[in-house]
Amino acid sequence: MTKQVTLTIDGQQVAVSEGTLIVNAAKQIGIDIPVFCYHPKMEPVGMCRQCLVEVGRPVVDRATGQVVMEDGKPKIQFGAKLETACTTPVSDGMVVLTASEKAKANQREILEFLLTSHPLDCPVCDKGGECPLQNLTLAHGAPASRFIYDEKQHADKRVPLGDLIWLDRERCIQCARCIRFQDEIAGESVLAFYQRGRATDIITNSEPGFDSIFSGNTTDICPVGALTTADFRFGARPWEMKAAASICSQCPVGCNVTLNTRREAKSGGKVVLKRVMPRQNEAVNEIWICDKGRFAHHFTENEHRLATPLARKDGKLALVSWDKALGLVAGKLADAKGEAVVLASGRLSNEDLFNLKQLADGLGGEALLYTQMGGGELTTAYGVPAGTNFAEMGIGTTILVVASDLYNEAPIWYLRLKQAAERGATLILANARETKLEKYSQFVVRYSYGDEAETICGLAKKAHVGEAITSAENLVVLYGSDGLGLDGSSALAAACAELVKSRAGKPNNGLIGVWPRANDQGAWELGFKPVADLKAVFQKANVVYIAGADPFGDNPELTSRIPHHASRIPQHASRSTHPAPFIIVQELFLTETAKLADVILPAQAVTEREGSFTSGERRAQRFYPAVPARGQSRADFVITAQIAAEFGLELEGRFAARVMDKMAATVKTFAGISYRELAETTEQWPIVGRGDLYYGGTTYENKQGLGVILALSPSPTGRGARGEGKPLRPDEDHWLAVPVTRLYDLGITVATSALLKARTGGAHILLHPDSAQKLGLAAGEQVELNGNRLEVRLDPTVPVMVALVPRSMGVPIAGPMVAKIKAA
Amino acid sequence: MRNPQSAIENPKSRAMLLAALYIAQEQYGWLNPEAIRRVADRLNLTEGQVRSTASFYTLFKLEPQGRYRIQVCEGLSCYLVGGAEPMMDFISKKLKIKPGETTPDGKFTLEVVECLAACDLAPALKVNDELYGQMTAEKIDALLEELRNV
Repeated sequence: MTKQVTLTIDGQQVAVSEGTLIVNAAKQIGIDIPVFCYHPKMEPVGMCRQCLVEVGRPVVDRATGQVVMEDGKPKIQFGAKLETACTTPVSDGMVVLTASEKAKANQREILEFLLTSHPLDCPVCDKGGECPLQNLTLAHGAPASRFIYDEKQHADKRVPLGDLIWLDRERCIQCARCIRFQDEIAGESVLAFYQRGRATDIITNSEPGFDSIFSGNTTDICPVGALTTADFRFGARPWEMKAAASICSQCPVGCNVTLNTRREAKSGGKVVLKRVMPRQNEAVNEIWICDKGRFAHHFTENEHRLATPLARKDGKLALVSWDKALGLVAGKLADAKGEAVVLASGRLSNEDLFNLKQLADGLGGEALLYTQMGGGELTTAYGVPAGTNFAEMGIGTTILVVASDLYNEAPIWYLRLKQAAERGATLILANARETKLEKYSQFVVRYSYGDEAETICGLAKKAHVGEAITSAENLVVLYGSDGLGLDGSSALAAACAELVKSRAGKPNNGLIGVWPRANDQGAWELGFKPVADLKAVFQKANVVYIAGADPFGDNPELTSRIPHHASRIPQHASRSTHPAPFIIVQELFLTETAKLADVILPAQAVTEREGSFTSGERRAQRFYPAVPARGQSRADFVITAQIAAEFGLELEGRFAARVMDKMAATVKTFAGISYRELAETTEQWPIVGRGDLYYGGTTYENKQGLGVILALSPSPTGRGARGEGKPLRPDEDHWLAVPVTRLYDLGITVATSALLKARTGGAHILLHPDSAQKLGLAAGEQVELNGNRLEVRLDPTVPVMVALVPRSMGVPIAGPMVAKIKAA
Repeated sequence: MRNPQSAIENPKSRAMLLAALYIAQEQYGWLNPEAIRRVADRLNLTEGQVRSTASFYTLFKLEPQGRYRIQVCEGLSCYLVGGAEPMMDFISKKLKIKPGETTPDGKFTLEVVECLAACDLAPALKVNDELYGQMTAEKIDALLEELRNV
């Protein structure tokens, strides 16, 4: 425990730990010292001078070292000048006056200064209504300015820093919060000051401009309307919008977000989603979100969303009523019984997956998880338990990241691991190629694609690295599927689990899967088995009920099993005499898979309904409806329950909360969890939210729940797939093509957000420059990979004779494969 | 506490920046992109951070400079002896450039500076790091002629 220091602020006594800054000590007892440049998440710089206060300290007799007493009280000497509350640490017996005449005069005058050339365009400024400058001016500013209006300086008002963030130079007060965020927190120093005095500009020095995946956060902490997002700019006034708590559905981190909505004329009187804002959860995303989470929300309002059930009639999909669709589907499932297969993905909520599993169990069929990454049976048993928080990891903790490019796969984990390393945690990065996080790591373990599991098995015995793992007080292992398919990642998970098994149940210790989807972990917890052989599923099953997955979009070759697309099927492909299965697809969009379906059931988006996700850290978190559902769409768990009801199986189909109750009663790791518990919150630091905008930024305060980390499963839930045989190797004529994950891919959420298109590009592969040279190719030229034409991009971090194929970018790749690549 | 490795928090690296920029400017004549890059690499800073700091100081040049930078003093002493203004006008006319400009042949850049701390030699000017005092029209003519022919 750090030493406590007692001081007096505006007559109130407060005890805080040594080293606390005056501004934070004051905040703890509800005294708001105005600040602009100070931000509780960043190092203080004391450059805006708004926080100057009177500071007095006890007089100490130099001869005796004793505090001089006067009338029985310590004699206090005040400095001749004011001091910045944001850079001055507290000391014993200190007396701080934040509202004395002298301090108030300074606050007033600094504001007067800041406003000399600030445009008075609050009525059209996006920040208006949630603007620290506006609020602090009201609270502390002078009613009139003595500066001459005609001498106001003007500057550019529309400067695109990048394609996502705009700068209004007139509004900027040069607090450098954005620059410091990029330097200190994001670790991407792409912003800087240029020139000085009145001429000071914020500039970007990256190409493309403001090249950072965390750029949106600068608009939250900008204390004026200088930085705005291209997505929300002039979109709505803050006070017109409603706020709904949600969980980001883009990756397994499970960032807490707030969805701002408004009913507006330009959207035909509909309630629409205007922006995604971070919601504070210091154990998950603190007060940040990545740009994918912030900007890839346009799928909700996309015009191509499915709005009504469709059924195949004379070979074509036609509108049908829900009653008819449900009856048809239920009849087929009831007939198929054990020959029915449920195929779902981690895009669905816990409630949806639970009902789907119940339905499959009720029929005696299988519930399969559509995934190319395995090992979930191990994360349920050896995952991180309650009490785990990356923010608490530092000296004594070792974090091992294997086969994962966290920057692209889980950006906020990248931030948190970077920070843990900076606090002194030992970060070990094991991958076949260089990834961005390596910059902050103590050890790098390089292996060849295919040697993942073997490398990890031998890791504990290696000098230095082995010691860092075995002797660590706390050990967290994150594994992903960089270059791996289901078999490889399952084998890797098993190797990783060996490292943490003996630590099971200890907070800040365990195994974390860097899953491709938000709720893959939830699916494993609920007993879904990974689908090992998709082709076999479609060859054997009588009915396949697909929810939230697009296997045919990912791999067009599968269509050979479906008669509606007979024209596409090579004759020899459909040798089986088994009739094609009846396909039910529950989806948001008319995906390639949906196009082949016999019945399509329109589902609601995560933004339109209630539910919960289980993050990679196994934290169950609730999301709430923000906008009305599209057309006749229904929530997935509701649809499943209604189908089940048709053939007499009773599932909860009205309230998501009750589905959770059932889960809590039957699924061990969910035991005892309720929606009420998930909605509980405790006080968090720093204080953010409406009244504290000037301090923490426009991040939303968390009033809707911090979530709960699930209990560990006593033993691994069943056996996952295991890798067999020799790893694939490239040779003289054969390339090794491996899947990797990119942040901005062509998945439906990014593809429907026009703003991100420039950052996505088209289908491509990444080759080492030497490899490309061997093929006689330059960057940007076309290659042929197993019949697909692709653009070549060069990347010196790619091993030679290996091609990285980004997932969800138009090229089917389930796992590593030997491939033929040639210039096209 | 935060960021011990980063250059931002590393006082040694940051503190070396002005000195490094000084050396770079001496070598290159101005802080061209290559100079900025080399300083950044050497101090483990980003080019943006280096350029940002350089832009703050008027003595660091982010534009190409003439081979000879003529700095004409307009401090109090030089002014009082009636030197500053006539001297500037004279050179300006001779070189056909205004203060702050560079001759098209890249030979001369003309600048006004506040005080060269050579009041005893007023009126004074500096060419690069060399000080010239008690200047007259003849002496300036001779000096320019000499520099032209070097």
